[in-house]
Amino acid sequence: MIQRYRASAGIMLTPAATLIGIFILLPMLLTVWLSFQDWSTQTPFSSASFIGLDNFREIFGPTSVGRDFKGALTNTAIYTALSVVLILPLSVTFGLMVYQHDVAGGTALRTVLFSTYMVPMIAVALVWSKLYSPSEGPLNQMLGLVGVGPQPFLSSPRSALISIVFLNVWQQVGYFTVLAIAGLTQIPGSLYEAAKLDGANRFEQFRFITLPLMRRTLLFSAVIAIINAVQVFEPVALITQGGPVGSTNVLTYHIRRVGIERAQGGLGSAMAVMLMLSLIVVVCALFALANRKDQE
Amino acid sequence: MSFAWTSKLALAAGLAILPASGWAQSVTISYLTHWSPETVALLEAAAKDYAKTNPDVSVTVRAVPFGDLLTTLRSQGGSADGPTIGGIYDLWLPELARDKLVAPAPDAVASEVKGAWPVGVVSAASVGGKLYGIPNEIDVYALNYNKALFKQAGIAAPPKTWDEFKDAAKKLTNKDAGQQGFGMINSWAAGVVHPFASLLVSNGGELVKDGKPVLDSKQAGETFQLYEDLVKSGASVPAMATADANTTGPFLDNFVSGKTGMIIMANWWESALKTGMGDKFTDIATAPIPVGPSGDKPHSISYSWMTVVNANAGQAEQKAAWEFLAWLNNPKSGRSGASAMSDILMSMGILPSRTSDIEAHKDKLGSEFLSGYVSVLADAKPFPVVPGGQEFSESLQQTIEALQYGQVSAKDAQATAQADATSILERAAK
Repeated sequence: MIQRYRASAGIMLTPAATLIGIFILLPMLLTVWLSFQDWSTQTPFSSASFIGLDNFREIFGPTSVGRDFKGALTNTAIYTALSVVLILPLSVTFGLMVYQHDVAGGTALRTVLFSTYMVPMIAVALVWSKLYSPSEGPLNQMLGLVGVGPQPFLSSPRSALISIVFLNVWQQVGYFTVLAIAGLTQIPGSLYEAAKLDGANRFEQFRFITLPLMRRTLLFSAVIAIINAVQVFEPVALITQGGPVGSTNVLTYHIRRVGIERAQGGLGSAMAVMLMLSLIVVVCALFALANRKDQE
Repeated sequence: MSFAWTSKLALAAGLAILPASGWAQSVTISYLTHWSPETVALLEAAAKDYAKTNPDVSVTVRAVPFGDLLTTLRSQGGSADGPTIGGIYDLWLPELARDKLVAPAPDAVASEVKGAWPVGVVSAASVGGKLYGIPNEIDVYALNYNKALFKQAGIAAPPKTWDEFKDAAKKLTNKDAGQQGFGMINSWAAGVVHPFASLLVSNGGELVKDGKPVLDSKQAGETFQLYEDLVKSGASVPAMATADANTTGPFLDNFVSGKTGMIIMANWWESALKTGMGDKFTDIATAPIPVGPSGDKPHSISYSWMTVVNANAGQAEQKAAWEFLAWLNNPKSGRSGASAMSDILMSMGILPSRTSDIEAHKDKLGSEFLSGYVSVLADAKPFPVVPGGQEFSESLQQTIEALQYGQVSAKDAQATAQADATSILERAAK
């Protein structure tokens, strides 16, 4: 009976497992294999030759290849960290504002917040590149009205990456607000009533009820925000081309430049493997931290 | 079988074969370019003219931003369904030919090109003595300056030497008005490297000699130092120099709005200046690149573009593509002895490279703006076309940008540029 059950479960799982194997696992394994090869993307896989860890030595080495890769990895890490640090608190704040039943216009605010997520990135990039324009950009004009001098935004290596982060936060915060609202709806109202009877003020209710009970939602939001941020490509390709001085050169854009433009498939694959490993480490660390908190 | 039935069967067979034979002859070829919509419209009009005498050939045109052109060629050129014809920058040719993405020109086309184009341009379109593309445009760098700003600053003539150049840049700088003397460019490899290389060759130096980088020369050191001096003195503001994926952006905005006194740029941006400046375009003049302390006379950098054919396209498509390109670049396809290609190029202010086209467009090439470029063409040095050239160019771009933003000194920039270039060119040559 058990054997028959296992056989039928196996048969039912086969289609999904096959699809996952072909379209997810196989490309990942292929990328890992290519990272140990000297291979041009313009030649068949059969022309690849094994070179051990040379590609990894190169991308962590002192030459321009290594410098550019390490710079792109750092930029991606900064971009991701800033995006998550800004998106999560903002999404919870907006979620609380929208979720309050006694606030007028809550539905309208929710619609406005989510609408930014539906705007295609090409349109967002075009509009924001004009908003950031150092000479005739509206942002500088507004800053001028309050006595702040013109800011370089995308034209300075100090502020270009942060400017791209703001663009990302603006677009993504609506989506994460919806997730936060979904988390808030899961918290029983009786807990707040009991807390009120015990004399807890609004801040204490937020600190001791809302935040702890939203931990799972926030963990999910953090993981999705990290994955989204690591994959940033369009604003860089459309607006800054990785500049100035490589300050917005993020890994996805850099891998495209190395792997496709320069056809250095082995080097590009080694970079992609490092990106994948970094992402796995960060997400696993996040889950481990959450589990430890749960156990506490 | 009765006669009526025989006739019906014959008719049915004939009708069945007729469209099939028609389809067998018709060929569709696609043309990938980075040109603007207005210029693409001119190319489409030329393709329509071609279709009048060649109804079996249909040409479709697709445009992508300059920043995506090489990626598109590399990602789609490996298949028969990729673009049949591509407009490419000569720096990309050695690696595209090595990777067998572009087809060698047929003998008839090669002999025509070798006889009708200048030797240097033909060599930039060849790898290992084999011609791969039909050259079309040639671009050369010169100093563009704003005459109105020169007049305001009391400068009578464009600078001829680096000392005069630095002096003019200083006089043209007005921080309160947000005005810089000399406009550099960043965030775009050619926009950064070509003006630098123009100043370098005008100082008697070179980027690459016999396939090896020579950025450790005294002349290169002086050029890096010039950049540092210009930035430190405030005559060049890097934040005003950014370019975007379409090779426009703040660097262009600042020049057309009169906030940049001088800039080193190529002839092809004439149409962008006209669009941005309107009537004020007459304020812009062209002069040779100022000569450095180690230089003998003005030199600048030139590069060329060509059209290549996808080596993985079908035989019929390749044949049709070469025939179309031969017609497009033929002196009979355009107006008054010019080729249709040169008419399209001249609409953007781009110099055609075919000898007969230069003659046919003599009047327009004599305009105040373009004549300055034509005059420096003879002493221009081609940008080195070597394997790894694009990576070398992007690496040098990073170093020059770091110098522009004060992240490295001129001395460190020179050392880094030479070390990186050596490593890149050695690896590419293997």
